[in-house]
Amino acid sequence: MCAGETMEAAIEIKDLWKGFGKNIVLRGVNLKVERGEKIAILGPNGAGKTTLLRIISGQLKPTKGEIKVFGSVPWKMVEVRREIGLVSHSSYLYKDLTAMENLKFYAKLYGVETEIKDVLEVVGLYSHRNKRVSTFSRGMEQRLSIARMLLASPEILLLDELTAGLDFEGKDSVLGYITENFSDKTIMMVGHDFEELERICDKGILLDGKIKAIGSLSEIKGIYGVSD
Amino acid sequence: MRDGNPGSNVVSDSIQIAIKDLKVELRSKNTLNFMLLFAFLTTAIFSFSIPPNIVQRSAPALLWIVFLFVGINGYARAFLREVDEKTIDGLKMVARPESILFGKILYNLSIMLIIEFILLPIFVALFDLQVHDPVLLLLSVTLGNVGFVIVTSSLSVLVIRSRARELLLPVILFPLLFPIVTSTISAISASIVAGSQNIGDPLLLILIYSAVMLIVSSLTIEDAMSE
Repeated sequence: MCAGETMEAAIEIKDLWKGFGKNIVLRGVNLKVERGEKIAILGPNGAGKTTLLRIISGQLKPTKGEIKVFGSVPWKMVEVRREIGLVSHSSYLYKDLTAMENLKFYAKLYGVETEIKDVLEVVGLYSHRNKRVSTFSRGMEQRLSIARMLLASPEILLLDELTAGLDFEGKDSVLGYITENFSDKTIMMVGHDFEELERICDKGILLDGKIKAIGSLSEIKGIYGVSD
Repeated sequence: MRDGNPGSNVVSDSIQIAIKDLKVELRSKNTLNFMLLFAFLTTAIFSFSIPPNIVQRSAPALLWIVFLFVGINGYARAFLREVDEKTIDGLKMVARPESILFGKILYNLSIMLIIEFILLPIFVALFDLQVHDPVLLLLSVTLGNVGFVIVTSSLSVLVIRSRARELLLPVILFPLLFPIVTSTISAISASIVAGSQNIGDPLLLILIYSAVMLIVSSLTIEDAMSE
């Protein structure tokens, strides 16, 4: 962020609708996320949690409504998308390339000179750096996907089922790293494990097509527990 | 946002994407092997089926039919692979749509050159063609293929998420390829049969048409790629 630049909200969403054919997934979502906020998104399957993160990341274009990330429309501007790190169900990794080749490729596109060795060590994959991703287990692929996200030190982290497929040690190490190194960044996290969500987020929203409730994570936990 | 991010350079991003695609292809050889095999088979079948007395006249069209068959099936793979492996969304987050398009075009051009340099001598030998001007033949085939790659790469974006994409792509492609096909066949005919006369016009048409397609696709790629 440059000195003198206005401090817009990290994410601003107004009356956001998204449909896939006749299936309307998001119905008029309104949300403002300030810089540095850490928000857990809770809701049942099919509530639109992943769709919301994909719209924020610029992968999807809204059907109706407005989305702004740092004051710009993410699906229109790659400069904004590069500020967003997304870990989701897809790893976005090339199966025929090695772990190192995948990270080098993304690092070149991000225009960063991050020490890839360090990132691989954080996710515990340095000894597997020259293996093709096609030989990786689901957990190893998820770790590499996290490494890909960490490469560019994004300003906004969108974490969709971050620890899916990770063993206990892996979960602890990744959550610890994010808590330690991204304390000043904006984070939106989708998950079903409250213990994990509580390690990173302090605020929560309950989503089911539209935002049903917003508040502290413990409040949302109570509401979600009752309504579930 | 970061200032002066060197990663936002369309040219260098396109090159990186093309290099990555080549690396993936040379390792998996999914597309290249299939394209070469298909090209050899089609050429062999044509060489046995065409009577020798009409070879000189029909060779340009036959050669181009081989390239059409091979290219339509092969060039779209560059985008389809990204969609099938769901890497396209990751790519969209770091690269401009234009970089992705140009990267795919560069990659397809490399594949095209490999196929052309292997197939062309085999085609000439199998058909026992008397080529009047080999340099012009090479130029005509290469320029025609460049235009073909640009049109195919650009249009394949439009069908990548369609269920019937393999059927839809040729339907959309053939009418738009018409100027390239006719001009290339004229240019190849001129280089084989009638020497270099009248070869300038078709080559110029290919160049202009390719440039127009490239400009139109780079202006529309953002909308074409958005979901």
